[in-house]
Amino acid sequence: MKKIVSRRNFIKGGLAGTATVAVMKSKETQAAHSFEGYPDGMGVLVDLTRCVGCRSCEAACNKEQGLPTPAKPFDDYSVFQEIKHGEKRRTDETAYTVVNQYDIPELDHPLFRKIQCNHCQEPACLTSCFVNAYTKTPEGAVIYNSKVCVGCRTCMIACPFYIPTFKYSSAFNPRIMKCIFCYDTRLKDGKPPACVEACPQEALTFGKRNDLITMGRQRIRETPGKYVEHIYGEKEVGGTAWMYLSSVPFDQVGFDTHVPQEPILNSVKDFLAIVPMVLTIWPGLFAGFHLLATRKEKIKEQEMEKKEEKA
Amino acid sequence: MKFFSKERPEIPIVNHLKADGTEWTIKEKLWLGLSLGEYKKQFLRNPVNWLMIAIFAVGIPLLLQRYIYGLGAVTHASNDYPWGLFLGFGLFGMVPLSASGFMLGTTVELFGRKDFHPIERLALLNGLLGYFFAVLFLEVDLGMPWRLPYPMFVSLGPAAVLFLVAWHVATYLSVQIAEVLPAFFEWIGWLKGKRVIRKMVLGLTIAGIILSTLHQGALGALFTYAPSKVHPLWLSVNFQWIHFFCSSIFAGLSMVIISSTLIRNFMAWRCDDEFKDNLDYITIGLAKGCSYAMITYLIIKIVAIAHDQEWSYLLTGWGSYYMLELGVAVVLPMFMFAIGIRHRYVGLIRFAALIAALGIIWNRLNTSMICYNWQMYQEIPHWKEVWITITVYSLYFLTYRFIVYRLPIVYGWKGEK
Amino acid sequence: MQTRKKIMQTALAIAFGGVLMVPTQIWSMEAEDAPESVIIDSLANLYTGVEFNHAMHVEYASCQECHHHTTGGAVVNPNCARCHSNSGEADEVTCTGCHEKDRFNKTYLRTLEAPELYHIDKPGLKGAYHLNCISCHETTSGPTGCQDCHTMTLAGEKMFDTGSHTPAKGHSAPGH
Repeated sequence: MKKIVSRRNFIKGGLAGTATVAVMKSKETQAAHSFEGYPDGMGVLVDLTRCVGCRSCEAACNKEQGLPTPAKPFDDYSVFQEIKHGEKRRTDETAYTVVNQYDIPELDHPLFRKIQCNHCQEPACLTSCFVNAYTKTPEGAVIYNSKVCVGCRTCMIACPFYIPTFKYSSAFNPRIMKCIFCYDTRLKDGKPPACVEACPQEALTFGKRNDLITMGRQRIRETPGKYVEHIYGEKEVGGTAWMYLSSVPFDQVGFDTHVPQEPILNSVKDFLAIVPMVLTIWPGLFAGFHLLATRKEKIKEQEMEKKEEKA
Repeated sequence: MKFFSKERPEIPIVNHLKADGTEWTIKEKLWLGLSLGEYKKQFLRNPVNWLMIAIFAVGIPLLLQRYIYGLGAVTHASNDYPWGLFLGFGLFGMVPLSASGFMLGTTVELFGRKDFHPIERLALLNGLLGYFFAVLFLEVDLGMPWRLPYPMFVSLGPAAVLFLVAWHVATYLSVQIAEVLPAFFEWIGWLKGKRVIRKMVLGLTIAGIILSTLHQGALGALFTYAPSKVHPLWLSVNFQWIHFFCSSIFAGLSMVIISSTLIRNFMAWRCDDEFKDNLDYITIGLAKGCSYAMITYLIIKIVAIAHDQEWSYLLTGWGSYYMLELGVAVVLPMFMFAIGIRHRYVGLIRFAALIAALGIIWNRLNTSMICYNWQMYQEIPHWKEVWITITVYSLYFLTYRFIVYRLPIVYGWKGEK
Repeated sequence: MQTRKKIMQTALAIAFGGVLMVPTQIWSMEAEDAPESVIIDSLANLYTGVEFNHAMHVEYASCQECHHHTTGGAVVNPNCARCHSNSGEADEVTCTGCHEKDRFNKTYLRTLEAPELYHIDKPGLKGAYHLNCISCHETTSGPTGCQDCHTMTLAGEKMFDTGSHTPAKGHSAPGH
């Protein structure tokens, strides 16, 4: 955590105009390349080979988070056929998690993929938020504070997984709606989120993120041929607390395999680095330009004065 | 608009004193020295006002709908495209078109180019209003507009690019108000205020450059938060802020050319001779600035493609669209500017400025909406969203006109100053 | 090396023997010893319990297919065989004996952190049931739907907004 604090401080310092501090700390920025996350952060390993698409997780989430009654019952599987704008179902202000069905030509059965907030180690929503509405808790959850949110929706732009949604239907009390890992009701007491508890197939395994990676690797190693040799989320966007195992290449089950392998913040760093430079160099530079540009006039003025004195 | 001079020689007002030696009151100044009946008559005679009335007749109820029933009532409430026209056009388009303030401020005050002085105030006003209305567009778009000051005073997220945009736009707005205030002080006749500002001009101008460099760049840097969503041709992680900053230079200058042309043609009664006589010369000067900025912009655009090894994208459909944008919005006006400068075709320059300004809006819409989520479906804004955007822009137009009608922007105040 | 190979061969032979000539293997359990049926309802809440016809399932699968190495039968899975090829009959053969009912509670998760522990990935009780039953039912065309095995309770209908709790007119998010 120390590392990330120092980097954020560096940026704060730059903005406040405390140039020297900023320049000194910028060295740390180079060194502090990535935030490894809280060591004891929890996570969930989703095994796509186990999911049978029963939507129990969706139902459990709906009840746990007090979300509105859905249009169709949770045991209605026709939702898997729903397509909007050519896209399968996604999270919205009524659902923090949804399961989608993928028909894989090589397989005799479909695969199902649950989506929800992946609770990144260094979340893009958090780093893009200008009112600090997001917090990554030591337990691993990325939580949101609706009391300070301004509703700019930059987090929705920044999230590489298209997870945060906005309560567009409300004029007076809108907010971001997103999975919070059941933080206030469960995770902070060490309990698994409602969806994990509801899953009959244990397609969702809850545990310490580090242990889950070991477990995922064991599954891949001990059942050769069953899984693609990759844990999605171990490295993606700097690592996520929710990770996935799949029997087919991840792009066939709706994953974006082109997301960066480092935190989203890293692509913004180039700009953040110039901020203290502009703040410190520009004033002197342009004051200098001004003196140079107006020198002739000054000389003329002085000459005029001298002439006047002589006369 | 010749009526001003025909019946009443003392208007338009350019002085504190009437022909008979008594002072104009503020109220009279506000009514342009006309009686209520006369004012009404001239207002209704102008067809533009009828268009405005039509726009507002639909637009104001729509705005009410937005504030009573939420954004979902007037937009498609998209979670895939969180930003629509209000920001795509209103913020990302208006801000570069308002870079004129700091450009001309720098030219005149910092580099001592007094020959651009006749247009300085127009450029400053153009900047101020552009920013003010960008904030207004933001207020339409924000989910909780009443929390606008939160990033400043309540809950600070200083590591975010938007934090920088918020602070810089806010401070720059204050700087621009200070820069336009002298015109207002002359008009109301409070000279002490003007002298105070005069002393701060150099500081304000330098502050303007710093803030502009950073927030024009920051608007571009906002998209680097979405490296996997914006089409690679429109997003260069390393150069995005330079692209946005550099293009804002010719965008702002082009906007001043357009604005001064409109004022010269439709508000000739308000312009003084200094403005009218120098405008062609100044326009050519501005065009030089535009063409330099454009060639620089074009080069860094190409450098960015080379840097990210994106040549192969140029062969796709998106690549054709990209080249169309660069060709029509940058290369074409650049050559038009060049020819205009060489042969002193001011008309051609003015036409080029129009293309360049529309081109910048096009580029910003491409980055924020059209090429955003390029692997997904295309979001087409709700008609209500389009109408509200037009409504707010019309309000911008009216405010702009209201001020230019009155304050000494394109004419010199004849009274004491 | 030679001896090891020999042991393996013997083990394999015994294993096959175990299947073919059950009575001769004294350390292995016999299907006949097993209960006729088992009521699985320790987790019943949203669904009613299941009356599991053990005698019928014995016809379809060998003991170790469900009971792994605990019944003493030879282990087929090479991962298990690494340790359990010879471990004999376990004291505990029931599912609940090994599979944690509360798989994700703090205390249990902590036990998984033991550095030498191999079984870091043992499913909880609910997972064990469903993973075992459904995967086999899929290949043997057994029932796989939720309510094919256990009917939904009123609590379940409430949770799933179905049956008596079917939404009259539910919400769906506006827009897209």
